[in-house]
Amino acid sequence: MMWETAILVGLMFGGACFLILQASFVRILFGFILLSNAANLFLLAMSGRPDGKTAPVLQGGNGGPPVDPLPQALILTAIVIGFGVIAYMVVLLYRTFLDQHTANACELFDPRRERPKEDAS
Amino acid sequence: MKALVLALPILLPLLTAIVLLLAGRRRWRRWLVALSALVQLGVALVLAQGAYGQPPQVLALGGWAAPYGIVLVIDLLAAIMLALGALTALAAILFGLAELPPEDENPLRLPLIQFLVTGINLAFCTADLFNLFVAFEVMLIASYALLTLEADDWDIKQAFPYLALNLVGSTLFLVAAGLTYGMFGSLNFALIAERADALAGTPQLTLLSLLFLTVFGMKAGVFPLFYWLPNSYPILPSPVAALYAGMLTKVGVYVLLRIFGQVLPPDLPLPHLLMAWLAAATMIFGVLGAVSRNFIRGILSFHILSQIGYMVLAIGLFTPYALAAAIFYIIHHIVVKSTLFLVGGTVVVLNRTDDLEKTGRLWLATPVLGVIFLLQALSLAGIPPLSGFWGKYMIIVEGVRQQEWVLVFCALLAGVLTLFSMLKIWNGAFWAASAKEGVHTEERRWRPMAAVAGGMTVVSLGIGFGAEFFLRVAHEAARQLLDRPAYIDFLLRGGG
Repeated sequence: MMWETAILVGLMFGGACFLILQASFVRILFGFILLSNAANLFLLAMSGRPDGKTAPVLQGGNGGPPVDPLPQALILTAIVIGFGVIAYMVVLLYRTFLDQHTANACELFDPRRERPKEDAS
Repeated sequence: MKALVLALPILLPLLTAIVLLLAGRRRWRRWLVALSALVQLGVALVLAQGAYGQPPQVLALGGWAAPYGIVLVIDLLAAIMLALGALTALAAILFGLAELPPEDENPLRLPLIQFLVTGINLAFCTADLFNLFVAFEVMLIASYALLTLEADDWDIKQAFPYLALNLVGSTLFLVAAGLTYGMFGSLNFALIAERADALAGTPQLTLLSLLFLTVFGMKAGVFPLFYWLPNSYPILPSPVAALYAGMLTKVGVYVLLRIFGQVLPPDLPLPHLLMAWLAAATMIFGVLGAVSRNFIRGILSFHILSQIGYMVLAIGLFTPYALAAAIFYIIHHIVVKSTLFLVGGTVVVLNRTDDLEKTGRLWLATPVLGVIFLLQALSLAGIPPLSGFWGKYMIIVEGVRQQEWVLVFCALLAGVLTLFSMLKIWNGAFWAASAKEGVHTEERRWRPMAAVAGGMTVVSLGIGFGAEFFLRVAHEAARQLLDRPAYIDFLLRGGG
């Protein structure tokens, strides 16, 4: 179980890095979504093997030892924060697209692009 | 009652932000925010006074003591940082009030500044890793919003590298927190510190500390992960840029101090060595970047990096003396750097631009602003007896003592190049005989703006001439930081 999780987390981080390094905005965005999920899965793996353990809810003494609930609490927080930041990123990329008429990071940061004259105030 | 005072550095800006959001465009909002910033400064100074020579003050939120609950711990270092943050925020807010009439000001700017301050203060007070993550996110989300709030169509693209690199940093932080929990079974600083001693010298701990170095080095702007900083800061409005320049990267430096000085055991030769050499590279690359720019805010933004290099170098040298030097350097740097950004903002008002090809004649028009700039620029370069000299002197003394000649040479070289690039601003803005758009001294607002910068200069002069007092405070803060057994005992068994 540990090895499978480790390989999956590694694949997700690798895929995320590959996507982030692309030029297209959409791929970069997907890359960041994948990246935050990879980190969340990594955190989940920190609560140890779930085999034979009960949910961390006290129900009057039935069942064996519960799973460590703390990493799950951390993941919940991280998911909320990650969702907010990704939503911000969508809006930022969309505004960049509207203002700069490109959805390609290479074109966006091309040094030959110059500030339009009418904007210079 | 005592507990409430400890929560005030977080509650005050948070409440102010919420009230400001509800207040809309009403007139009294500006008075409220100035008053709130002043009270925050007062609270921070009271906390700093109470922390000198005392064990840290602890507030267990929800009544759960460490290591199980969330605790706020304010020791001298945290209180110093709170005071500096409050001072910078006060200056930035007053400068903003002077710069823009109420009807031109974006109604979201002041509440977002207060949210930013909330996040920064939480990062200073917190004593567990996950709360630190939340604090960083509160701070970063407010900073993303402020960065793009008033950016124009062209500048908006510079927000993207800032967002992307900080997002990668946050993800790595999350991974580091997960690893820490896996290794120590806790995220509380004191409990990690206690359990880390058993692991001192093992490869796992070295790896974890390298991960921390990557994460917080990125937030601090250490080479090679500084790319997000120098292009994004110039797109900010000047008062907000002053706050960012003063505080944001220093939160990273503060956390490096806290994690490497207090939480991790002192016996980590490889990460410390790496930190010192990366710091030297940061200094040189930062200052070379500054020399290559030709507009004031660009030069100043690159300078943040080279100054960060000095502080991180001091942490990398890692002796009580060097950590005291780092703390003194932080005190000096925050005040000086934000003042220089404020001066840059005043130049923009007077010359209509901060492009050094087009500015000029300011020495004739406003000698006072020239004197303010000169004092702060020379302080940044480390000319005695200004405040920058003492910090640089201590760091170089420590480098010589450890016979790290190359690091000492880098620090001296960066100092000379700093002077050179400051002279570039001086020649371009103050000394040049012609200004393309003229000098607009009829803009009455430059006087209160320069007055705010002048007030900060007085503080900086005070740090330079009262260096003995500030050095004593820095030494005491470093002593508290490095006294790990006392900290662990106090949090886990004594106070709380």
